[in-house]
Amino acid sequence: MAGFRLINLAKPFLPILPEVEVPYEKIPFDDKMVYTVFASLIYLFAQFPLAGLRKATGEDAAAHAPTVADPLYFFRGVFAMEPKTCLEFGLLPIFAAGLFLQLLAGLKVIKVNFKLAADRQLFQSLTKILAIAQYFVLANIFIASGYYGADLSLPQIVVLNIQLVGGGVFACLLTEVIDKGFGLGSGAMIINTFAVATNLVSDTLGVNQITVDSEGNTEPQGALINLIQGLRAQHKTLVGGIVSAFDRDYLPNLTTCVLVLALGCLVCYIQNIRFELPIRSTRARGTNQMYPVQLVYTGSLSVLFSYVVLFYIHIAAFALIQLVAKNDPASIVCKVLGHYETVNNIIAAPTFPLSMLTPPRSLVGGALSQPLSFVVYSFFILASGVWFAYNWQQVSGMSARDLARDFKEQSITLLGRREQSLPRELNKVIPVAATTGAMVLAAVTIVGELLGLKGKGAGIVVGVAGGFSLLELITMEFQESGGESSLANMLAGGLSL
Amino acid sequence: MAGEKTENNQMEKAMDAPLEFVREGNQFLSKCKKPDLKEYMKIIRAVGIGFVAVGIIGYAIKLIHIPIRYVIV
Repeated sequence: MAGFRLINLAKPFLPILPEVEVPYEKIPFDDKMVYTVFASLIYLFAQFPLAGLRKATGEDAAAHAPTVADPLYFFRGVFAMEPKTCLEFGLLPIFAAGLFLQLLAGLKVIKVNFKLAADRQLFQSLTKILAIAQYFVLANIFIASGYYGADLSLPQIVVLNIQLVGGGVFACLLTEVIDKGFGLGSGAMIINTFAVATNLVSDTLGVNQITVDSEGNTEPQGALINLIQGLRAQHKTLVGGIVSAFDRDYLPNLTTCVLVLALGCLVCYIQNIRFELPIRSTRARGTNQMYPVQLVYTGSLSVLFSYVVLFYIHIAAFALIQLVAKNDPASIVCKVLGHYETVNNIIAAPTFPLSMLTPPRSLVGGALSQPLSFVVYSFFILASGVWFAYNWQQVSGMSARDLARDFKEQSITLLGRREQSLPRELNKVIPVAATTGAMVLAAVTIVGELLGLKGKGAGIVVGVAGGFSLLELITMEFQESGGESSLANMLAGGLSL
Repeated sequence: MAGEKTENNQMEKAMDAPLEFVREGNQFLSKCKKPDLKEYMKIIRAVGIGFVAVGIIGYAIKLIHIPIRYVIV
């Protein structure tokens, strides 16, 4: 074959790349559920604290303490990234590799013949290699920047690399288990949903105590538990305890919890809006039905795409500012891009110009200090989301043309329309649904983020949308399996007790 | 004068594209079928129960990390 093809880059890696085998036989419904749930739970367990970092206590702690705070704080909730663990970068590289390569293949930038099994395998492997490469690059940017502590020794760097890249490879394999037919739906999406649900519960009901000040006073992580405990805390007055339960900014507070829940309910509502196409069978008469087209046609992928792009803008800026300019405000790079300021000792907030693409940390503070980011950030999320949704619906095998072909195979057509005009009629609906859905979802995300949810807003949008598609898959598979499931019987028995 | 006018027209066209898009989206939205309250409550309950159940299991797993952190860090 003449010409250079990007997917051939994956060829030399095929023998060494770990891979999940496609199941030999059809997996029953119960087993699929178990695989799905356990893969996600193993992911959560794999968020192991990093070993090999210097202890924060001791005499030389001040000299070697990490001087760089977390610049990615507002991505944490979206991609299941847990700071200072093996999964520091969460599922982001997997999402990024998958979305970009599929988009490029769909837009014919990379030439892949998806009808050939060999090409498909190469493409899958390329996606995985790209994801692992991202884990490696991101890990080393963070190590070099001093995020894990200044002047690390060589063994420490090696150990950190093994943990961070190893965690990444492991996450890739876990998503592959679900993707390849052992589980239900898209692996990365489901694991993300599980992580969002876990974060929600630990932010609301978490009982683990975290030291909050130099005197050693502790407060629980969960906002609701904090309110209850605040009523009888010794180091605060009663009113002070209640007020701080609602507005503490170092740990989750009740206001954000309520906002997150409200956003979740809103996303549930939006997920249920559908456009109904009246259809009829071309074979049998008198069987008119409705074919629902979901408003959120591309699901939460549009929001994820916006955030992946945003992430890479931020990581590029972070690399430039930290590695090239050493976060020195006098340097030319920092004059152009802005620098990082540490807030609360945990997060590194970028200053103007970079702050324009950063959601504000609180509504009022943001409106006063960074009014431009309200415009620029919103515009960025909206535009990238809509652009993505428009292109994705065309390339992802659910475009108007694909749907028309499916209709024809099942010998159904639109009511009151000729069969020949089917693709044209569908084409009036599908792209509009995709772009409008992406716009609405982006708007919800923006509202949440501008209220100062620091990534939890976008996280809940992605999480609920993912949970919703999982729920749909479960009901569909359950009906296909004829309702025979010992798991369902067990659950039903448990609920009726 | 004429040049100014065409420029204005172009500006208007550039402004019109997003407006048109929003109008189209609005029209589409108004034609969509929204869930009724009963259906909506059912969905909220299903998603809510799922989220909380999964979250509690996940949180229990995360609690295991706390002692591990003391051991290895």
